[in-house]
Amino acid sequence: MTSMEMASFPVLTAILMSTIVGLLVIVFIPDGRDKLIKQVSLAFSAIGLLLSLWVYLNYDVQKGGLQFVERYLWVKGLGIYWFNAVDGINAPMLLLTAVVLFTGVLTMWELEVRVKEFFAFMFLLVAGVYGVFMSMDLFWIFVWYDVSLFPMYPLIAIWGGTRKEYGGMKLTLYLLAGSALILPGIIYLWVQGGSGTFDLFELQRIGFTPHVQRVAFVMLYLGFGILAGVWPFHTWSPVGHVAAPTAVSMIHAGVLMKLGAYGILRLGMTLCPEGLSYWSELMALLATVGIVYGAFVGLAQTDLKYVIGYSSVSHMGIVGLGLSTMTVNGINGAVFQMFAHGVMTALLFSSVGYIYDRTHTKMIPDLGGLSRTMPVASAFFIIAAFAGIGVPFMASFWAELLVFISAVKTYPVRGILAVSGLVISALFMLRVVQKTFYGEKNEKWEHIPDVPFFLATPRIILVGTILFFGMFPRIMLDVIQSAVIPFVASLSV
Amino acid sequence: MMSLFRDPILLAAALGTSLPFLSMAIILIFTRHNQRLSASISVGSVSTSVLCALYLLITLSHAGAPIQYEFPWLLADDIVIPFGYLLDPLSLLMLNIVAVISFLVQVYSIGYMAGDPGFSRYYAFQSLFAWAMMSMVIAPSMLQLFIFWELVGLASYLLIGYYYEKWSASQAGKKAFVMTRLGDIGFFLGLIILVLGFGDLSIVRMNEAGQAHNIPQYLLTISALLIFGGVMGKSAQFPLLTWLPDAMEGPTPVSALLHSATMVAAGVYMFGRIFPFYSMSPEAMGLALAIGTVTMLLSSTMAMATYDLKQVWAYSTVSQLGFMVMGLAAGGYFAGVFHLTTHAGFKALLFLCSGIFIHEYHTNDFRIIGRQGGRKLLIPMVCMTVGALALSGIFPFSGFFSKEAVLGVLANHPNKLWLFAGLLGALMTAYYTFRLIFFMLFPKSAGEVHGEHDSHGAGHGHDDHDKEHHGYIFWTMAVPVMILAAISCVLGFSQSSLEHFLLGQGTVPAQLAASHGTEAHAVAHEGHGIGHYALLLAAVTMAVGGILWAFFEFGRKRATQEGFLRLFPKVEQLFAARWYMDAFLRRFLDDVIYSGFTNLFTRNDRRIIDGGIDGICFFTIGSGRLLSFLQSGMLQYNLLVMIAAVGVVVLYLLLA
Repeated sequence: MTSMEMASFPVLTAILMSTIVGLLVIVFIPDGRDKLIKQVSLAFSAIGLLLSLWVYLNYDVQKGGLQFVERYLWVKGLGIYWFNAVDGINAPMLLLTAVVLFTGVLTMWELEVRVKEFFAFMFLLVAGVYGVFMSMDLFWIFVWYDVSLFPMYPLIAIWGGTRKEYGGMKLTLYLLAGSALILPGIIYLWVQGGSGTFDLFELQRIGFTPHVQRVAFVMLYLGFGILAGVWPFHTWSPVGHVAAPTAVSMIHAGVLMKLGAYGILRLGMTLCPEGLSYWSELMALLATVGIVYGAFVGLAQTDLKYVIGYSSVSHMGIVGLGLSTMTVNGINGAVFQMFAHGVMTALLFSSVGYIYDRTHTKMIPDLGGLSRTMPVASAFFIIAAFAGIGVPFMASFWAELLVFISAVKTYPVRGILAVSGLVISALFMLRVVQKTFYGEKNEKWEHIPDVPFFLATPRIILVGTILFFGMFPRIMLDVIQSAVIPFVASLSV
Repeated sequence: MMSLFRDPILLAAALGTSLPFLSMAIILIFTRHNQRLSASISVGSVSTSVLCALYLLITLSHAGAPIQYEFPWLLADDIVIPFGYLLDPLSLLMLNIVAVISFLVQVYSIGYMAGDPGFSRYYAFQSLFAWAMMSMVIAPSMLQLFIFWELVGLASYLLIGYYYEKWSASQAGKKAFVMTRLGDIGFFLGLIILVLGFGDLSIVRMNEAGQAHNIPQYLLTISALLIFGGVMGKSAQFPLLTWLPDAMEGPTPVSALLHSATMVAAGVYMFGRIFPFYSMSPEAMGLALAIGTVTMLLSSTMAMATYDLKQVWAYSTVSQLGFMVMGLAAGGYFAGVFHLTTHAGFKALLFLCSGIFIHEYHTNDFRIIGRQGGRKLLIPMVCMTVGALALSGIFPFSGFFSKEAVLGVLANHPNKLWLFAGLLGALMTAYYTFRLIFFMLFPKSAGEVHGEHDSHGAGHGHDDHDKEHHGYIFWTMAVPVMILAAISCVLGFSQSSLEHFLLGQGTVPAQLAASHGTEAHAVAHEGHGIGHYALLLAAVTMAVGGILWAFFEFGRKRATQEGFLRLFPKVEQLFAARWYMDAFLRRFLDDVIYSGFTNLFTRNDRRIIDGGIDGICFFTIGSGRLLSFLQSGMLQYNLLVMIAAVGVVVLYLLLA
């Protein structure tokens, strides 16, 4: 275990509490005070954002390792700890979660149906996400993981759109299937580790036999992989995105899918390095198929949200490919891509949200020529599409660059295939941009006003984040790298 | 960082390249609604860039070794991505070309784009282009070059699709982006191989001869070929060439700046940038020579069959780019770069002149412009003729000198086929160029010309407009044109000093290049192989012959203005349809991409993956229903089952 210093102020717990306290406050606000509920939600999500930002900025890159540690024994007999800490991998994830929650709340500012329940569920969901990202105890990771899955069904089935019950049910079943693989995987490791501890790093130090690692890794990989949209377990994701209300899509694609990739990295790869090297060839294959396949299927979609859904499948493939290389830059790129893709997808969904709220359609053939009537609202989507294509000076460019270099080095054929997929992803993103925003002014939408400044703020924040980390990638990469370099070193031992 | 402010050279380089970025940001964020201010900011920043570029050129013209400065922008384990500047003769020359033409085009656009609703957006994108292009030109490493190369592609996409309401415009932008991206995939993969082989991608180190031994020859060749993919995409080489004529959907000043003078030349520039590296792989050079030749000949034929003013220049651009690639690939570093330089001047000139006609007559058809009295616009007509003479390679205009240089290199190549191809190209170039010029100079009345449709209302009221247009709008367009015409007249005479500048310094790439380029040149001069004068004679004959041929068919009094192609309708159709390259591409996209993979994968997604999972679910639900018959809800029945179960357990316990 790397050096640990207990934090004097439990800032991580405070981040977690910002959602739980927020949730309780929302629950106790009387029905009908919609405005107040939104303001309270915004305030609590802002607290989470500020604290996460503070953690991110105060993370000492030189020192590396775990920081802001809170570690207390909770259940002695089982070895369960209240163990939260930050390293270079989850610091960006916490920041991502906070940014997406904050902008998600802003995006839902015009919600009118059952406002209180919506924000309550949303905060519960994000509490789970924060919990998974900050916890270093397997028991808590699993608990928080299930906390984050539970609210998805009501959020989609009540506030959703297209085929909401079907989408919600499908998503829930898939994710529960995933968690049905994760739980035995965790218990298996706990038993094999001598049943003394759920502490991630204790378990890592104990180490497991290669056989145990192979079995446990594949369980964790598939279990978390379902959530990460690994091909061929991805079909829940576009359907779920389409059905979900805007902010839920944002959190879902922006953060929840990262939870899967994070789980593979944090649990699977940390605890089962042997299992990783045993299964990495398969991981790389599935990831490559996902990258190319997602882009091709995206090409055929006529629903804006389906398009984004499949682009997520493709982009999450890049994360998987990076992780499977087991190299510093592969994993660097993968984690960077998790952050970049999270912000980018949130922006895509947020932009579609405004368009959908106004036009009541997200079918591409019905739209068209939107740039003329709402140039600013369109610009947000177009910028996000460029980020998706991998235009330089957008955050995802650097991530993809690093992943592809490592991938071609480690798996030449799969790497080249994945790189070639970039042509298709450019084609399908530009096709959507063209059909939705370009072309003659569409008289049907002529009356729609452009997005007003206040409603544009969430998108401005997201665009700013993409460009900032695109312009100054070091600010992100140095943090990530401080964890990845020792991690990869530990893999090769 | 501090040294940046102490060293005037670095300061000039930093300021010159990054001011347009600031200008873009300011325009997009703050001054979108103030058109005049947006244009002033953009033009102001690019004129500063011109001053910086000129300052650098003058102070560093005798600097000797190249000046390099870089700082790490990204440190990712063993991969370092530095940003910085490499100031050597080649980058200084190109920097000046880009800055000067950007400046002239932006001034020209004040008039050309006046009154356009997207005026501010236009200038923001122009600034984006200037920033990306100049940062690309002075890149010290291939990674920086690649990053800005991609960004230049974005600027190109945005500017081609500037009139986004027009479907054809957004289509053309998309096509340009995707086709160049196709080439860039090769470029990127080539760079990855080099990163893994070399460790870093510093241009200076790549070009050092000794470095090549670090990686095996076959990998070197593979990476050189892959990188050439980037050249093929960006510089519209066969078979990735059809995006460029389509790119003419953009505003004409954009065509002048991006799609003829500078951006499309980026591929050739990159080729020249790592020319010594390429020289280490004869296979790559050979393939490049073949591709350049095919490109040049194919696109020359296309130019003979179109009546669209801009299309002619677009095909001609493709063809001249092919010619530059030929020059470089045949070992003529200086010849290729020199032709790039002169071409940038006269092709920008031709486009900007065309822009004035299009602005005035609202049509792209040069027959209509001619008939409606286009030649009365004296300044653009004279300047366009100057550009046409330069393009055809007539003394004393700039094109004459650079074409001579390239042909000289080709003459020195052991295989004379390339030289003949080059001469044939020169003939065709002169023919199609003056076909256009004679149509405009000696229009026949509508009755005499067959098979054209006068686009209605095209010329209406331009007579009334004439006078008001001769205000500031006309002059903002005319002055840049006249400057470029003057440049085209005199640039050729700078050949020897330019050659001295590019090759005469002690830099490694220059030395290596010199050992190729000047050798070839010297040989041509000395008269080995085909004698210098014979070559000169051949080239002049071709150019003059092409012009006379065009005069015979289109210029003279009794000319039918039909052209020999009318006699071969099939051939004309072939040329006009771009050798069916677009049709082939369309078929490929439709059959392989859309109905092929996309359809296959989508159906797989719906039917097999999703269908399979849903099937399992329905199976589960169905079997649940079956089992639920057991849970009938009748108390007696439930009790009965319970008692039976307890009985079984008790029996089991008793017997065991």
